[in-house]
Amino acid sequence: MAKKNSKAVYLAAVLLFLGGFGYLIYSGLSEDSVYFLNVNEALAAEEGVLQQARLFGKVAMDNVDPNGGVGVAFDLVDKMKPGQAIRVDYKGSVPDTFKPGVEVIVEGRMDPSAKVFKAKTLVTKCPSKYKEQSEEMEEKA
Amino acid sequence: MHLTAYAVLLAGLLLSLFSAAWAARSAWQDSGEGLRPVELGSYGAAGCVIASSVILLAALMTRDYSFQYVYENVDETLSFMYTITGFWGGRAGSLLFWELIITVSGVLFSLSPRYRALGDRTKLYFWVFFLMFQAFFLLLLTCWSNPFIKLTPTPLDGRGLNPLLRNPGMIFHPPLLFLGFAGYTVPACAALAAYIAGEPKSWVKLTRNWSILAWVFLTAGIVLGGWWSYMELGWGGYWAWDPVENASLIPWFAGTAFLHTAVIEARRGALQRTNVVLISMTLLLCVFSTYLTRSGVIESLHTFGKSAVALPLVIGMVAQAVLTVMVVLFGEKHVTRSLSDLNSRQGLLVACAWFLLALGLVVTLGTMWPVISQLWSTQSVGLGPDFYNRVTLPFLSLLVLMFAVCPWLGWKSGIRDMRGFVAVIVIFVLSAGAFWFMGYHKPLAVFSAASAVAAIATVVLLFLLSSATRKNFTAWGQYGIHLGVAMLALGIAFSGPYKVETEAVLGKGETVRLGGFDFTYIDHVQDETKEFSARLTARLAVKKDGEPLAVMHPEKRIYRSYPGQQFAEVSVVPSLGDELYATVLGITEDGKVSFQISVNPLVNWVWIGGTVMCVMGLALFRRGRGGV
Repeated sequence: MAKKNSKAVYLAAVLLFLGGFGYLIYSGLSEDSVYFLNVNEALAAEEGVLQQARLFGKVAMDNVDPNGGVGVAFDLVDKMKPGQAIRVDYKGSVPDTFKPGVEVIVEGRMDPSAKVFKAKTLVTKCPSKYKEQSEEMEEKA
Repeated sequence: MHLTAYAVLLAGLLLSLFSAAWAARSAWQDSGEGLRPVELGSYGAAGCVIASSVILLAALMTRDYSFQYVYENVDETLSFMYTITGFWGGRAGSLLFWELIITVSGVLFSLSPRYRALGDRTKLYFWVFFLMFQAFFLLLLTCWSNPFIKLTPTPLDGRGLNPLLRNPGMIFHPPLLFLGFAGYTVPACAALAAYIAGEPKSWVKLTRNWSILAWVFLTAGIVLGGWWSYMELGWGGYWAWDPVENASLIPWFAGTAFLHTAVIEARRGALQRTNVVLISMTLLLCVFSTYLTRSGVIESLHTFGKSAVALPLVIGMVAQAVLTVMVVLFGEKHVTRSLSDLNSRQGLLVACAWFLLALGLVVTLGTMWPVISQLWSTQSVGLGPDFYNRVTLPFLSLLVLMFAVCPWLGWKSGIRDMRGFVAVIVIFVLSAGAFWFMGYHKPLAVFSAASAVAAIATVVLLFLLSSATRKNFTAWGQYGIHLGVAMLALGIAFSGPYKVETEAVLGKGETVRLGGFDFTYIDHVQDETKEFSARLTARLAVKKDGEPLAVMHPEKRIYRSYPGQQFAEVSVVPSLGDELYATVLGITEDGKVSFQISVNPLVNWVWIGGTVMCVMGLALFRRGRGGV
């Protein structure tokens, strides 16, 4: 009897747990998911996709504007197709490793009227010592 | 020298493979005579790994740039200490460091009385698994990630260590993580061996110190990584749910779940099969962690970049998973005992393990989501920090509350000590009310904080009410760790949601107000040193309620070896309450300086709690044969 009872309690607890967990995951997935896009994909994407997106690309060599000291505006170019670019406007602390030519990841939303990507976060990829190697890998792939 | 070092590694690989094969043959024939050659073989392999590590270390210390690895990680301006840390600063070197700890831990275990307590067959199977794991890493080193590549002609100077890694936290953070990862090799292999050989002695008890030590190292590594991120990266936070951070957290969840189910096996003899799976899974996840940081499968800010070891790592992980399942399915039959009620200490321990595993699964799925989502979507979809905070924080808070209640329950069923149970519930409710009254109205933060206070109260009450607890050294360790967890939870509950920050461009004498503090920019000086080609130090006077509190000195530096790149040096006014944090973002043409300033409430409790967790973990150590 005691054993049966304990099984029922375990089952109820597991269901409760899964329910709570499932709800949190579901709501998290529907509200906090972000599209991961390269610049050329972002240019081809529909407007809805760019409402919450994370873009991967490189900082263009010119047109970097310090935005009055509390951020930076720059052209984000595609890693593979240097001709394609999106203007990014970022307010906030600029990482130490930010400079023209580095790979950066920005997260935010597209302002369709101004054709500018308003970024909330900006991170730079570490200046990779293994860059040559990774480029080799890409060529092989 | 390069060739010698490589040949020694290769010899280590061959020795490991032959010894593993010999161990398998002897175990199959059930002959204990094969044991000594296998042990000697493993010592030989360890000797090879140590020798090649010494060669690499010597090359780093003498700055011998004919080694590609040295060239990439060291330069002339680097201080001696950081030439040593170059050992684990790069990709191939850190893999060799992993391997070094694995082999040394194998030798140390084989010399311990706990190893001698095992049966011969178990020992043989142990070496089969252990040497295969060791050989796997040697295979990666000799084939895909060779640290001994020669550069001709020899460069005159190296490329140097990334300045972000030149921080005392970075000296210890990576080796602690690797010590944690590698530390799980011995208990995992012993578990598989004991299960397959039907070992009558408890591997959980015999390898207890190893699983605790590995856990302590892993915990210390993660906490130190958070501290480094907070002090060096200058973004004002300590945890961003970046894939690389998650990579170290995933095995931690599994390892922590194991510590809890291991208690049940040690005390009650139940969950034997679960524990084998859990400890093996923990080791597997440590390899997965290495995979995440090296494969380039997930875009992240500080992975090592794409590398050729990715595919072999995947194959290795699949092989280990298949092996574990086979061992558990076909291992010798063990006595199994069923679990008690959920409203018992045992029940809550199981529930806690489930929680931790579920959290680990969520973090894994979240981290891999950009890959997983490609199964049905042409565009890859990822998850931001909000996702992790939303899903994990409620459950982590609930875990803290579960701990506050758990010690007052009996092992088998029901409440053991009504006084303590009621007292803790009352304290929980009162502190939640108090926080609400003090103006903290975010439900999750109040819940976490009140749970943390209740957990601290539980530990204090246990030691006040029971003299048996006070005299029990193990209890000090167990409850001490949980005290640390509670402090950490308190720190997270406030420093996350109640942090305030601002970016301000200030001219001389101008003031910005934040969180009840006044920050006034006084002036700045520019100078240069041996290490920096330029350095800007700003002075920021802080007042609270009109009273001068401190002067902060955030810096902006350009390192000589990294021209054209600026690095911010954070300045803090440390406090157990509100910690002030400032970085210089830049200087405008008209001489104004832009700052990022934040007020981080209770953030230091995160580090204090983390330290307490690690230090008290060491109190769980057992000497001698540990009650076997």
